[in-house]
Amino acid sequence: MSLQTVPWIILFAPLVAATLILFFGKYSKPLSAGLAIATAALGCVLSWLIFLHPPAQEGLHFDWVNFALWQQAGIPAFHIPIGIVVDPLSRVMLLVVTTIATLVFTYSIGYMRTEEGYSRYFAGLTLFLFSMLGIVLADNFIMMFIFWELVGVSSYILIGHYYSKNSAADAGKQAFLVNRIGDFGFMIGILLLWVATGSIVFSEIVGKLTLPGGLASHLPFLTIACILVFCGTIGKSAQLPLHVWLPNSMEGPTPVSSLLHAATMVAAGVYMLARIFPILILAPGAREVIAWVGAITLFVAALMATQQNDIKRILAYSTISQLGYMVLGIGVAPTADVAMFHLFTHASFKCLLFLCAGSIIVAMHHEQDIWKMGALKNKMPLTFLCCFAGAVALSAVPGTSGYFSKDLIIEFSWANTTFHHGLFWLALATAALTAFYTARLFLVVFFGPPRDDHAKHCEESPKVMILPMAILACSAIACGWPVIQKHFFDLPEVVVAPPMFHIMTLVALALGLVGACLLYWNAEKDPISIPLFANRFYIDNFYTEIVKFAQDRVGVVFSWIDRWVIDLGVRISAKLAVGTGFTLRLLQVGNIQAYAFYFGAGVIILIYLLLR
Amino acid sequence: MSPLLYTILIPVIAAILIAAGAPARRTAGFATFINLLWALSLFALYRTAPAGIDHYKFVHTWPVLPQFGLNFTLGADGLTLVMLLLATLVSVCAVWASPKVEKAERAFFISILMISAGVIGAFVSVDVFFFYAFHELALIPTFLLIGIWGSGDRQAAAWKATIYLALGSFVLLIGIIGLYLSIPVLNHRTFDMRALQDLAAHGGIEKKTWVYFLLLFGFGTLISLFPFHSWAPQAYSSAPAPAAMLHAGVLKKFGLYGLLRLVVPIFPETMQTYMNLLLVLLLCNIIYVGLITVAQKKLDWMLGYSSVMHMGYIFLGVAGAGMSILSYTGAAILMFAHGLSIAALFALTGQLRERTGTLEMSQLGGLARKLPVFGLLFGFATMAGLGLPGFANFAGEILVFFGAFGTAGVGNNYHALNNYQIATIIALWGVVISAVYMLRAYRNVFLGQPGVVTADGALDLSGSARLAITLLIIGLMIIGFYPQLFIHYLAPVWH
Amino acid sequence: MTVSLDHYLLVSGLLFAIGLAGVLLRRNIIIIFMCLELMLNAANLSLVAFSRYNLTDTGLPNYNAQVFVFFIITVAAAEVAVGLAVIVALYRARRTTHVEDLNRMKF
Repeated sequence: MSLQTVPWIILFAPLVAATLILFFGKYSKPLSAGLAIATAALGCVLSWLIFLHPPAQEGLHFDWVNFALWQQAGIPAFHIPIGIVVDPLSRVMLLVVTTIATLVFTYSIGYMRTEEGYSRYFAGLTLFLFSMLGIVLADNFIMMFIFWELVGVSSYILIGHYYSKNSAADAGKQAFLVNRIGDFGFMIGILLLWVATGSIVFSEIVGKLTLPGGLASHLPFLTIACILVFCGTIGKSAQLPLHVWLPNSMEGPTPVSSLLHAATMVAAGVYMLARIFPILILAPGAREVIAWVGAITLFVAALMATQQNDIKRILAYSTISQLGYMVLGIGVAPTADVAMFHLFTHASFKCLLFLCAGSIIVAMHHEQDIWKMGALKNKMPLTFLCCFAGAVALSAVPGTSGYFSKDLIIEFSWANTTFHHGLFWLALATAALTAFYTARLFLVVFFGPPRDDHAKHCEESPKVMILPMAILACSAIACGWPVIQKHFFDLPEVVVAPPMFHIMTLVALALGLVGACLLYWNAEKDPISIPLFANRFYIDNFYTEIVKFAQDRVGVVFSWIDRWVIDLGVRISAKLAVGTGFTLRLLQVGNIQAYAFYFGAGVIILIYLLLR
Repeated sequence: MSPLLYTILIPVIAAILIAAGAPARRTAGFATFINLLWALSLFALYRTAPAGIDHYKFVHTWPVLPQFGLNFTLGADGLTLVMLLLATLVSVCAVWASPKVEKAERAFFISILMISAGVIGAFVSVDVFFFYAFHELALIPTFLLIGIWGSGDRQAAAWKATIYLALGSFVLLIGIIGLYLSIPVLNHRTFDMRALQDLAAHGGIEKKTWVYFLLLFGFGTLISLFPFHSWAPQAYSSAPAPAAMLHAGVLKKFGLYGLLRLVVPIFPETMQTYMNLLLVLLLCNIIYVGLITVAQKKLDWMLGYSSVMHMGYIFLGVAGAGMSILSYTGAAILMFAHGLSIAALFALTGQLRERTGTLEMSQLGGLARKLPVFGLLFGFATMAGLGLPGFANFAGEILVFFGAFGTAGVGNNYHALNNYQIATIIALWGVVISAVYMLRAYRNVFLGQPGVVTADGALDLSGSARLAITLLIIGLMIIGFYPQLFIHYLAPVWH
Repeated sequence: MTVSLDHYLLVSGLLFAIGLAGVLLRRNIIIIFMCLELMLNAANLSLVAFSRYNLTDTGLPNYNAQVFVFFIITVAAAEVAVGLAVIVALYRARRTTHVEDLNRMKF
């Protein structure tokens, strides 16, 4: 077996496992979990293998669609390969996905031990792993789109795991639909790039762009195409204005939130941007748009996070905000590695925070309101320690992984001078907000008085849950250290650094932390209330109204038109037929002699007409 | 003797046997299954079968009125075989997954077999006259099925469908006669599709605009092209499940097949001249009917409208078929895919009606807990219906979109958008709309809290229905995973 | 006075008119039936007359017309057999032979 087949094994092992679990999982719980964890662990080991020994680029190849035999004159033969690309970018992403998946799958044994739908859960997880790896390894747009949709459906399945709950069923549906809206733009972008270059394979597109007279010299076209492709990211990575689905997706089991909606799936949008970075770099206008969407998202989402009370929702808004940083990184940094670095560290610490939240939620008997928790540090010391590691990394305390990756993005954003370095100030303000809401969460949950009976009697989670958390905690602290990250990334130097940058970030961090400590130390209930933030700027309500309008007004009106206007044609012709019949049947008098008379009269008329 | 003749004869013989007293359901199930196996073996044999003068194989001609160019000719090329597979697969599923028949079971299954024989005959006929006649043969039992075994306001539905489809067929007939008469040289006049295409290619047909419109609107009415669509939802919601499956899944494809066979190759220039009209109509199918679908409150009506809406995508493929091989193959794959997925959905809906007595979505809910297999299969069919990758629907849609988008030339093309491209972009929005109604229906019926109608004690799907619907989904997934299989058959058909 | 073709045709026409009037005006179905026969025979008469007065080139009558007459007589006989049977059946069912009572076949 050569190394070239290894990525294929990594990719398809989860699909095989998912199928097996679907058919045989119901017979045995350990079988479902075992299969899922075994494939994830296999993928993890093999990913490390190809990370350390990269295989040659030319690998196996499979034609999903190929019109080479029936080529049309003047048009390049249409060709959709299923091929994989193993470059530094995808190798790092493979590591992130498979490692975190292995840890979260293991954690799930503990978390799901008493839940229903055990095998369905693991089938969904393995299906997700398959689709996510497909995105990572895809070497062309359509293959990426295929797996892009498949992660969407596995997310739908997993969010709706407790499908008998109305809110869970609605959340799954909403996530799917919002992503579809993003994919609408994504697909148009792909079509535009295809029309311009005649290819959908990333490497070929990049090659064709820079040819003389190629797309790179038609800047408006390229900019529009790139922005449309970016729509896919807006949907998948929950950027404004399509962010609404991510907080609602917290209806799924917590490990799902951790793996899909924090660490990997939502980062797929950023990964896609990194994958097409050689195209984006030619379209500065598109990158400007991307940077601003990212910056506005990170700021607004952080504001929303400060006023949430559900532990998972706080983390969800935090995730949106951090994804905004990554998108901003794509928009401002000279290489994609900057954004990928933050993706890498964020995957560790946000996954960790969600797992901690899961541990707390189980201990609290599925109570998720932070104002019902409190003083958990003594009851759950291990969870407390892990959560502390995650929280400091998220707040970007110097020395932790988040500090290195996030500050790098903020530093790069200085180079953009629109609105007096607007991107930079937004990113910096958000750094303070991040520290604030993280500290708020941490203080309310672990310190202060226990605010509920559950909080008084909760117990530490089993080892199978603590172990993955401990591993991630080490990673959350350390994975950003330059000695470690230099093996994964090749980070560029900051050329235009803001003055006194490190002091400014430290001040921002201190502001956030001190503010949170003053407000929330031993607080019984939330001392401040900002309805605008708590209600998420009313964006969700606005969307609900639009959907209602489309369904109840437009749809119903069209339905009425269809019944009574379009259908009028057939109604009229039916009435016409009936009317004619009604008139003609007056001749049916029922008297034989009358009929004989008509008959005779008819003959006479005929004779007259013929002899005329 | 052409082996294609058996594909028509098997259902007819089965119908005769049932009339003579054979057990109805079992005979029909067996016959359709044999027919499927036969079609599959023809599909496998096709590429090695000896070719004649053209790419049609298994050709045999029985002269009827040779002096008028009228013969009974059977033959198959790649497109025929794909449609043949569709027809036989859906027939099997229609019989196997048919709910219990309350009255006149024999006549019911005879009608189904006659529809099956009719559509198969239409697809394997190379001769336009018999192509048309077989379609009429299949229509009559459809009316009977709706009128006699239907539900709801079945009489009205049957009449409406009758009036619409009869008018459509009538317009189509005039169009076909017009096409026949527009061959100026008397002894060249023919009903043979191959000869017609040849004549068209060499200027042997006077291309009259009115003939084009008669054919377009004739076929269009049968396919429920906007604004001739309003029969479809009502008929499908009233029809018994097997009739809806066969009509929406297969019989409707007759019109599209006819467009691909007659209109696209014979009237390319006329089609181009009036393309904007066609594009506007098909976008109405997608967007306007899509919005109506979203507003539906009953599952069967929603599916009826959704099948009208999906015709829009196939029409987009047909519209581009003259210019792009992608559109042509995409339209054909989409025909196959839509046939299977809508058949699966109607089969499940029919079974559901039997269990709950109502399809009002507000009264249902949470059924996945009581009927897990049902929920799973419906989920698969829903996902296929909204064009998820992995199902043939996605492959077809992708090809149609790429085909339509690339009509203006591919590579170094930075011109302003042409009409096809604008239509494609609008049509892509339909993908969002179809996700809205499909997921809403699934959510309301199978997920969430139990509804008013709880279907206590209802059994999950029976073995045969389960098998039949699984068969359809497997068919969709095979083509979804490997569309190249069909492309090998379809691409050579395109000139 | 020689009897010419015109006379035959006149009688034939009269017979036909009487028959037609009977069919249209009489109430009793048996009478109507007889009037029908009268019309048939009017036709027969004119056919025979034509045969006799339109000699062929060889001086013989045109026998086509006479063959026609035989056919009509045969058909009329068959018609009477069937028709009377129908009338008898009708009488058994409805106890009447009057046409104005037989008016069920209308909307």
